[in-house]
Amino acid sequence: MASSTARILLVDDEDRFRTTMGKLLRKRGFEVEEAGSAHEALVRVQQGDVDVIVLDVKMPGMDGIQALAKIKALDPLPEVIILTGHANVDAAVEIMRLGGYEYLLKPCPIDDLVVKIDGALEKKRAREKILRG
Amino acid sequence: MAFGAVPGRAAESARKHGGSMKEHARYFWAYIPALGALGHGAAAALADRPVPGFVLALWGVCFLFVAFVIVRSILQERSKDEFTTRQLLQAQKMATIGEMASGIAHEVNNPLAVIGRETEWIQEILKEHPPPDVQARREVRESLEVIAAQVGRCAEITHRLLDFARKSEPVLQWVDINALIEEMVRLVERVTRGKNLTIERRYQENLAPVWTDPPLLRQVVLNLLNNAVQAIEKEGSITVMTRDDAMGWVDIAIADTGCGIAPHHLPHLFDPFFSTKGPERGTGLGLAVCQKIVTALGGLILVDSKEGCGSQFTVRLPRRPIASRKTFE
Repeated sequence: MASSTARILLVDDEDRFRTTMGKLLRKRGFEVEEAGSAHEALVRVQQGDVDVIVLDVKMPGMDGIQALAKIKALDPLPEVIILTGHANVDAAVEIMRLGGYEYLLKPCPIDDLVVKIDGALEKKRAREKILRG
Repeated sequence: MAFGAVPGRAAESARKHGGSMKEHARYFWAYIPALGALGHGAAAALADRPVPGFVLALWGVCFLFVAFVIVRSILQERSKDEFTTRQLLQAQKMATIGEMASGIAHEVNNPLAVIGRETEWIQEILKEHPPPDVQARREVRESLEVIAAQVGRCAEITHRLLDFARKSEPVLQWVDINALIEEMVRLVERVTRGKNLTIERRYQENLAPVWTDPPLLRQVVLNLLNNAVQAIEKEGSITVMTRDDAMGWVDIAIADTGCGIAPHHLPHLFDPFFSTKGPERGTGLGLAVCQKIVTALGGLILVDSKEGCGSQFTVRLPRRPIASRKTFE
């Protein structure tokens, strides 16, 4: 189970999916914020203090891969987990190249997602420790 | 055992057929007396002598023979063309189905994800606020478990569809085929422990290594072993054989004493979504994926089956494929 201070940003244009996932993650002790588009997510990342971002790929306006590149340019620290219904090897390779932490295919049980979030948190905290010296 | 739908056999037969020039070259000796007779006859005609009867007879025989060779060549060329056209149509069909399958899988995954999350949320609520009635509580919990399990089943189907449509480049290396197969056989033995099923190994000793892609080949062997297990209803045996030949081919044969395949099903065995199993046990993509992989590895799959007696699937791989470095798509 994650530490209560972990802050997760959920980015998905499917409102119902995003809000229910948010409720489930809050039940597991995470602090959850939501964004319905990549633009909203970028605004939130700019404000700082996000640990892990769960990002959909296919969204109107800006897709998840473009958003990932911009997020990493704004703040390289938050770890990004891609959660998508659109599996594609080329996209997966691009996501890893851009610094994505994990690529998950929908539908995936919430417990599987929590395991990945915990791993991402661990990695993010280890990197923070190294940066602080 | 009867041979049925065997795309591989057609491939083999087409490979054996040479071009028409080769065919004529094979019978070059027949042209020597023909040319002799022609020369003799021409000399007689020029000298204003009657052409001898034996020369005319020889001309006749040679004419018939040449006609035979030409007709035979034309028929062989036509059969080769038909084979190529069939292969092309099959490839086009697979590509179209792959595209459709991946499109459908993508679109279905999103609503499935919503159903899955909502189910998990209701389960969460029920943990904190269970219905007071014991019977109702049990039924609601069971229903939600069924919904979650069915979402999982649909997810497996869509993920398999995406696997089917996936493009990937075979990564080739020298592989000890006996060792690779033994790994998969042990895996299946672990899963089938307790059933009346035996797996017999007949591996050829000192089998030549094969230049191939191990994960893709594992997928094929596991799929064929699973099919063999499913074909055996109550009790039976599976025999796994390997052998190589002087022509540079290595065979992996998996034979079972199961229910066999009805002759009318044989032509459709490798069609995507074709399944003789119930919807609970198969998506109909296993053999289609196997064939796609084996073709990408430069090989072919042979089927030998008799209804009620069992089936044998043989994966025939070249030891070193020349033109197999193509995308598996």
